[in-house]
Amino acid sequence: MRNVSYIKIFFLMLFFIFPLQSNANGEAQSTSNTKLISSLDDLKNKRIGVMLGSTHDAFAHKQYPQAEIFQYKGPADVLLGVKSGKTDVGIYNSVSLTEILKIDPELGLIDKPFEFSPVGFGFNKKNIELHSQFNAFFKTIKDNGVYEDMIDRWTKKGITDMPKIDTPNKNGILVAGHVSDGGLPFVTLRNNENVGLNIELAKRFAAYLGKDIRFDDMEFGGLIPALTTGKIDFIAVTLMFTEERKQKINFGEPYYEIGMSAFALKKNIASYSHENQTTNGPTFFTSILNSFQSNIIQEKRYLLILDGLKTTIIISILATIFGTLLGGIICFLRMSKNKLLNIPAKIYISILRGTPVLVILMIIFYVVFASVNINPIIVATIAFGMNCGAYAAEIFRSGIEGIEKGQMEAGIAMGFNKIKTFIYIILPQTVRRILPIYKGEIITLVKMTSIVGYIAVQDLTKASDIIRSRTFDAFFPLIMIAILYFLISLILIHILDYLEKITDPKYKRKARLKS
Amino acid sequence: MIKVENLSKRYGDLVVLKDISTKIKKGEVVSIIGPSGTGKSTFLRCLNLLDEPSGGSIFIDGENILDKKTDVPKIRQKMNMVFQSFNLFSHLSVLENLTLGPIKLKGVSKKEADKKSMDLLKMVGLAEKAENYPDELSGGQKQRVAIARCLAMEPEIILFDEPTSALDPTMVSEVLSVIRRLAKDGMTMAIVTHEMAFARDVSNRVFYMDQGLIYEEGSPKQIFDAPKKDRTKVFINRIRNFIFKIKTQDFDFYALNAEIEVFCEKQIIQKIMRANLLRVVEELLILYKPFLNKIELELEIAHSEKTNQLTLICQTTGNKFNPLDNKDLEDDIGLKIINTFTEVREFKWAGNKNRLELLFKN
Repeated sequence: MRNVSYIKIFFLMLFFIFPLQSNANGEAQSTSNTKLISSLDDLKNKRIGVMLGSTHDAFAHKQYPQAEIFQYKGPADVLLGVKSGKTDVGIYNSVSLTEILKIDPELGLIDKPFEFSPVGFGFNKKNIELHSQFNAFFKTIKDNGVYEDMIDRWTKKGITDMPKIDTPNKNGILVAGHVSDGGLPFVTLRNNENVGLNIELAKRFAAYLGKDIRFDDMEFGGLIPALTTGKIDFIAVTLMFTEERKQKINFGEPYYEIGMSAFALKKNIASYSHENQTTNGPTFFTSILNSFQSNIIQEKRYLLILDGLKTTIIISILATIFGTLLGGIICFLRMSKNKLLNIPAKIYISILRGTPVLVILMIIFYVVFASVNINPIIVATIAFGMNCGAYAAEIFRSGIEGIEKGQMEAGIAMGFNKIKTFIYIILPQTVRRILPIYKGEIITLVKMTSIVGYIAVQDLTKASDIIRSRTFDAFFPLIMIAILYFLISLILIHILDYLEKITDPKYKRKARLKS
Repeated sequence: MIKVENLSKRYGDLVVLKDISTKIKKGEVVSIIGPSGTGKSTFLRCLNLLDEPSGGSIFIDGENILDKKTDVPKIRQKMNMVFQSFNLFSHLSVLENLTLGPIKLKGVSKKEADKKSMDLLKMVGLAEKAENYPDELSGGQKQRVAIARCLAMEPEIILFDEPTSALDPTMVSEVLSVIRRLAKDGMTMAIVTHEMAFARDVSNRVFYMDQGLIYEEGSPKQIFDAPKKDRTKVFINRIRNFIFKIKTQDFDFYALNAEIEVFCEKQIIQKIMRANLLRVVEELLILYKPFLNKIELELEIAHSEKTNQLTLICQTTGNKFNPLDNKDLEDDIGLKIINTFTEVREFKWAGNKNRLELLFKN
């Protein structure tokens, strides 16, 4: 019976969301009909989408003070904003946009690219050695023609295959921070691997140093803090040279020059208005099939999902174990009669319950372990475990306090010491009592892990972000991971239900009588 | 076996146990009785240190258990306790309740513990409930399991803390008969109880506790049939009393009558007795009346719920004065009436106090 109802819920979800999706498009059309955009000047009172912390962001604020500016986390969201009608115009780097527009017939450029600026990698001001090494390396490849060949292949000929570059782990490992969904020709994820000009350049640099290289995928806005706190060795994105940035970081030799472009839906742009817009929308099922094909099968994107799923599950399990152990300890301290023990525990509980997990997560990553090279998965485990521990401690306490005093006294009077009384008499009863509440806490924890993308962990949510950025399809990846999270929770609930059942003493008797 | 010296227990300013010294010998069954709130349970719980005494010393088999070096859990193993609220381990079956201690504390094998526990369950008549859980048992069954659980640890002494107080009246006897059987087998026991008849026939010695002390102790015969001290008498005979003070000749006689009636009603004193009491009081007051401006009269009516005895006590202060001995009376009708309704009339004059005690005929 229960299984049937889950399937029902699943279908209900599908049927509710599909119509909404088409509604959103309809709405977008109605708002854009007012006036077509013919030049950059028309942007002044429009809704403009930019990437938070980018030069486009700064430019839009300066140039169009009247406009409503939407700051997004990554390029994919800027694009989706325009496509879904949340913004009228988006601004992004002109080179990547050219590539994107090749595969997306809906979008068009407004005017020509503008605000050209050199771009380069970013280095920590304290690490002058790496900075000069890069410049020396860059001079070498410029001299021997490798650089020219790279530019030729990626930007002119459109060859998007990575050449084989050996990065032996001779002299250690180089950590590059980047944004994997930046877009070609600079960087993109294909077949679960980073490819692009940036990637090739960074790899060649690592090879030059005789080091192996690791790419940490981050939010664009988090790159510079990560560099200055030492989380990464250098920033491998097309970082535009600005005065503000120069104060914080050193730029390597510029390896390219790019401008910005504004883009919008073709039907909103005056120069495209003559184009025939009659497109026969695919039927419902073929569109689902197409979505499935592009979001899952193409470029082996299911690998991304699988990796993300694995990460989400690992973090969930580790954080649950850590949180439970921590909760036990905190609960013990909290229940102690000694003020030196119970007051710190009380403070811990109220702080952890009173601050968002995301903030704790970032504090641990960027502040506590600022100068330590630590696996972000461990950071996530610690942050979620600490949060879970605070709640668990209170759940445990209420469970233990709910057991009559007589149970403890009977154990003590029989000759058990306090610890043994706890283990043999109080604990088994507590476990049974708190399981129903604890179940909810663990499921909350699993869902909470969806924010680890902030510290460069590629979990399920991040995987969907990446796919979204490649396919510009918001709907399918989001629904898919919603279902995946739901399934994880469902399995967890079943496991915990089973646990609840087998800890029921009467269940044991039934089992005994059967055998 | 147990020696208690100057034991005291305070909770903040509240003194529960003042100063208790006593001994309990091997094989003895001691009942501890007394009004509620006089520290009976606290005394018992101090013996196994469930409550930490505030002063004094306790020796079990010559070992001072208040000494920091003493292994208290080890001593508790030979001195188990049965609680008013049973306290069976609710996550364990009846059998597991019995075997937990022997297996975990004494290292007995599971097989052996099971066998012995089944024997004990048979003894308390609950072998067929071995696989059940505590919440499936009645109160009486629970308490019998609790007793069996105690016995499984093979204790040398068992402390019973009001074992039948939480039970339905219909279930009291099944628990008491198990305790009786243990007494017959020679188990050393200390029992806090309100079951007087049981205490009387099961114990070798009775402690009457009052005011944080062992107020009176003795054989059951001494305590129940001939208690020496006032409070013991009041408690054993379940005496309730009513006091009325008269200071002038013009006191409110009707109010006095009304209050006596209310007292009689509360004590369920028979109508005839009530009428007799009122008449005797009236006649006595006539005898006392001429003197009431000079002396103060205290009237006390005491009724024993146990024996249904009704006593009237008249007390005055001053020179020796017995109203029944007055030569200046106009007639002796009043005296005759008093003599008809009462069977014992005792007059005492001591320390400036006149005390006239009249016991009514039943």
